[in-house]
Amino acid sequence: MRARLDERVRGVIARRGFSDLSEAQEQAIPPILEGRHLLLIAPTGTGKTESAMIPVFNALLSADGAGIKALYITPLRALNRDILARLQWWCGELGIRVGVRHGDTPQNERRKQALNPPDLLITTPETLQAMFMGRRLREHLRTVRHVIVDEVHELARSKRGAQLSVALERLAVHAGEFQRIALSATVGNPGTVARFLCGDRPHALVHIPVAPHLEIAVEFAGEEFAGQVKTVATRLDRHPSTLLFVNTRVTAEALGHQLYGRGDVEVHHGSLSKEVRIDAEERFKRHELSTLICTSSMELGIDIGHVEHVLQFGSPREVARLVQRVGRAGHRIDAVSKGTILCTGFDDLAESLVIARKAKANECEEVVLQHHAADVLANQVAAMAVEYGELPLAAARDIVERSACFAACGVLLDEVCRQMAVHRLIRFDGERIVRTGRSRVYLAANLSMIHDERKMTVFDIVARRTVGTLDESFVVAWIHTGAVFITKGQQWRVLDIEEGGRIMVEQAKNARGELPSWEGEQIPVPFSVAEEVGALRRTRDPGPYQADAAARAYLAGMVGRIDAEGLPLPTDRQITVEQADEGVVVNLCAGHKANEALARVVSSLISARSGSSVGIEVGAYRIFFRLPPTLGAHDVADVIASLEPDHLGPLLTLSLKRTALLKWKLVQVAKKFGAIDADADSTHISMHRLIDLFENTVIQREALRELFCDAMDVAGAAAVVRDLREGRRTLVTGRLSILGREGLFSSKDLVPPPAYDQAVIGTLKRRLARDHVVLCCMHCRAWKMKTTVERVPDVPECPVCGARLIAAVKLWEEGAIAAVKKKTKNEEERAAEQRMLRNANIVLSSGKKAVIALAARGVGPEIASRILGTFAEGDAFYTEILKAERNYVRTHRFW
Amino acid sequence: MNPVFLPEGPALVVEGRLRVLVVADLHFGAEAEFARRGVHIPSNSAGRMERVRSCVEAADPDLLLLLGDVKHSIPFTNRQELRELPAILAALRRLAELRVAPGNHDAGLERFLADDELLPKDGAVIDGTGYLHGHTAPAASLEGRLLVVGHHHPVVHLHDDVGCALRAQPAYLLAEIDGACFACGASTAPTRALFVPAFFELAGGLDVTTIRASRMSPLSRCIREEGAEVFLSDGTYIDSLEGLKRTAGESPAR
Repeated sequence: MRARLDERVRGVIARRGFSDLSEAQEQAIPPILEGRHLLLIAPTGTGKTESAMIPVFNALLSADGAGIKALYITPLRALNRDILARLQWWCGELGIRVGVRHGDTPQNERRKQALNPPDLLITTPETLQAMFMGRRLREHLRTVRHVIVDEVHELARSKRGAQLSVALERLAVHAGEFQRIALSATVGNPGTVARFLCGDRPHALVHIPVAPHLEIAVEFAGEEFAGQVKTVATRLDRHPSTLLFVNTRVTAEALGHQLYGRGDVEVHHGSLSKEVRIDAEERFKRHELSTLICTSSMELGIDIGHVEHVLQFGSPREVARLVQRVGRAGHRIDAVSKGTILCTGFDDLAESLVIARKAKANECEEVVLQHHAADVLANQVAAMAVEYGELPLAAARDIVERSACFAACGVLLDEVCRQMAVHRLIRFDGERIVRTGRSRVYLAANLSMIHDERKMTVFDIVARRTVGTLDESFVVAWIHTGAVFITKGQQWRVLDIEEGGRIMVEQAKNARGELPSWEGEQIPVPFSVAEEVGALRRTRDPGPYQADAAARAYLAGMVGRIDAEGLPLPTDRQITVEQADEGVVVNLCAGHKANEALARVVSSLISARSGSSVGIEVGAYRIFFRLPPTLGAHDVADVIASLEPDHLGPLLTLSLKRTALLKWKLVQVAKKFGAIDADADSTHISMHRLIDLFENTVIQREALRELFCDAMDVAGAAAVVRDLREGRRTLVTGRLSILGREGLFSSKDLVPPPAYDQAVIGTLKRRLARDHVVLCCMHCRAWKMKTTVERVPDVPECPVCGARLIAAVKLWEEGAIAAVKKKTKNEEERAAEQRMLRNANIVLSSGKKAVIALAARGVGPEIASRILGTFAEGDAFYTEILKAERNYVRTHRFW
Repeated sequence: MNPVFLPEGPALVVEGRLRVLVVADLHFGAEAEFARRGVHIPSNSAGRMERVRSCVEAADPDLLLLLGDVKHSIPFTNRQELRELPAILAALRRLAELRVAPGNHDAGLERFLADDELLPKDGAVIDGTGYLHGHTAPAASLEGRLLVVGHHHPVVHLHDDVGCALRAQPAYLLAEIDGACFACGASTAPTRALFVPAFFELAGGLDVTTIRASRMSPLSRCIREEGAEVFLSDGTYIDSLEGLKRTAGESPAR
């Protein structure tokens, strides 16, 4: 095969020290040399970059003329540095000109590229978008013959990738068909990723399986953080160079803090500055550091030299993630990568065992493309409007429909254009798309589909200092005066939102649990993993899993404690519904997304039935419902048992209305449609009423579609419901178990009652319950008592004479009671007595219901009688009371 | 007087010897201002006018009283307003006899109004009830009466045992006003104010429980919170102000 390469290339390969080519290179280079489109799926460390670039260099050697011949597109800026270093070496040796262009590239460098474009340009998807905006750069793109997309698995599942796929079709209009090459980590469905790259075009697929190259151990590190740190330290001692992966930045910082004392440990994650990160990478390469504590920022192929071992602290959550992370370890190409998962708890251990097994069996998660993402379409329509000034809708359709993400998108394109015209982002008459004055400004601020969060400062007016920041979308979705949220571990109540966006707060104590959050960082545990964890709980058979003696002992110990409790066990076949103090825990092993879907549907049904809001907190193995005191486990179990699989989708759509999650997403999508600028000042505008304007528009439909795609798994939830109905799963109620108590929730939200009236009735109920009432026996006339309506028994009785002829009067009517006791009464006093007797008679016949009605504003015996005479029950009863109160407000002369 | 609440506004009919339909804080022209701030939506002036028209039809009033902030941009009149206002006011005049209590956003509005239509900005008494936009201290003649006040955009958040069940509903706040608000404080009868919600559908709102603390106007600073009451836009009595504050600050029931 090497014979087919230009001899200059062969010479450079030899100089680079490649005696043998890797498996990936052997298989990928020939089809690329033939000019075919190719998707290369291979683990890290198999020389993927060279697999793509060697044949491209080969082609570039025989290409001449000016203009860019090859584009290397990579999702992260940090990669540019390493790829650039490697490619610069190759290009230097071969006499090929290479350049880098991304957000940080200095102005003079950019100008040089515009005047004298390199043969090979390394860039990002966002910068590619920007390049279409300039006439000169567009010219230079006409000569592109090869496009290489790195880390395509990351792009394929995101809107960023959907945007890139349209950009490639737009490029094909300028340059003609070019060769498409993509490099991917291991995925469960290579065909889909290939389609993402090539659309309908024929292509080649090279798939180097990762499993034979992996050796994964699973160990238990202890339940307490201190012990876990000790275990980590011991493992670090065993290996000269280690990557220690954790799942959140908070954990990275916490571990880093504990381990800094060793002197050879550094932390590396996305929130740190570029300088700090580069410094850590360099020092690790030079062996000045033996350990880097990192998050997913390190999964991508940044070159940090040799990594002997990979440690994963806590379950990696996804098979693909474990494979990519462990794949960073290894001596040289094609050697075995070794990794150890250090587990931190019962669920964590079970989950890790399952994921390790699946990794060895090559059972990787599938990538799901963003299908027909309307806001990406809007973004690209705006981009094409700026690029061409104006273009026919048919031309735009031709371009976008060639992308697999928008194939056959049909009338969606028309809807998107119409919506954009409403917000004056383009002009659209049904056939032609024309740019407006705002189009270019919008585009410059929206090159990326990554949502750029504006931060709003939070100011404590008592201590008179800033306490932190909140993301603007969170503020729009959730914050209003009186709202309570948590930041820096403290509860705060919002007093005011200033012009310019400062949020004025005071400390709040013991406020309700109405604080939504969804951790963007947390990786969802997939349905199949969670289900297998459930099966492991049931079978208790560690056979198929790589558990060492210590792990087995821990598992056995926990299982013993669970069995000793004697409560029903939640598994893949049994769902338990457990009564806790502030609500109900449902133990269901279905993963984050299916649980999120079920949590929302169930809470919205409960809320509709009860008229109360319901709080939800969702994890991979349990859902917590925060309920009013009148509802409990049986109510939740009833609702779950009543679910129908086919109704879940529509119910979920309804249940999302007026929740913080939907509002948060609506704002993001609206921004891409040009309805809200990236730096808009929204104080003094009721944002949440503004968002209502998007109801039934393509903006709302896209927000829902994205949430259904990324945050909720309706199919998984429906499968669970179907299992329940057909007897493959059982549902049991009980009290809170050990497993139920192990709450680690990554998302929280509040589901308000769906109907406006219910919230109002709820308020009325609580007001009446708290109202003071004076009970007075009209039989013996010797007893009276002041109390609140809620404390009145269902059938009030006089403790002195045992009679039930009790009048319930309002506090300010207490004077009438004295009058009633007199032996001789004047006319006024006799009238008062008559009223009280009528009052008591109603209480005698209707009990507490009468007391409630009589507590209402402006309701005396006559009106109470009428209300009770309707025999309305529950909410309808309170509706009658509301009508009476409203009428009183209207007619009474107290104004 | 007797109030009639029109939730479809929200608007209020004050029934005495005269029927006065009160519409506060219309903010025509706001969409142009929004665009400058980065929010791009089409003008809803036509829709808003339609809502006013339907309130007038329902109320059949003797007077249509616009309680200030008829237009939006301070300090000048923007292009959208210049284009729309004359036609809007003409259309309103056709519906009913017009009175305007000018608000802080209404600078420049006078040129579109007839002399007898414009009321003094610190308030006027019509049929025994006082009316003012609410950004100024009230005139002496308003003391001891019921004042109908705009400007504050009152809203109420309803909470239940678990959380916020209904957010930012337009609301009415009825409260006694401290005599200190008036220069001479001569009256023996208490002055009460009925703060009415904004008609403008996208108006940012001020939580009724925070109006006094906000100190946003002379009147707001003089609110007596004991005995104050809160109503929804359809006249439903929600609770006393103190009751609402208590519910908002309460810990969970369990």
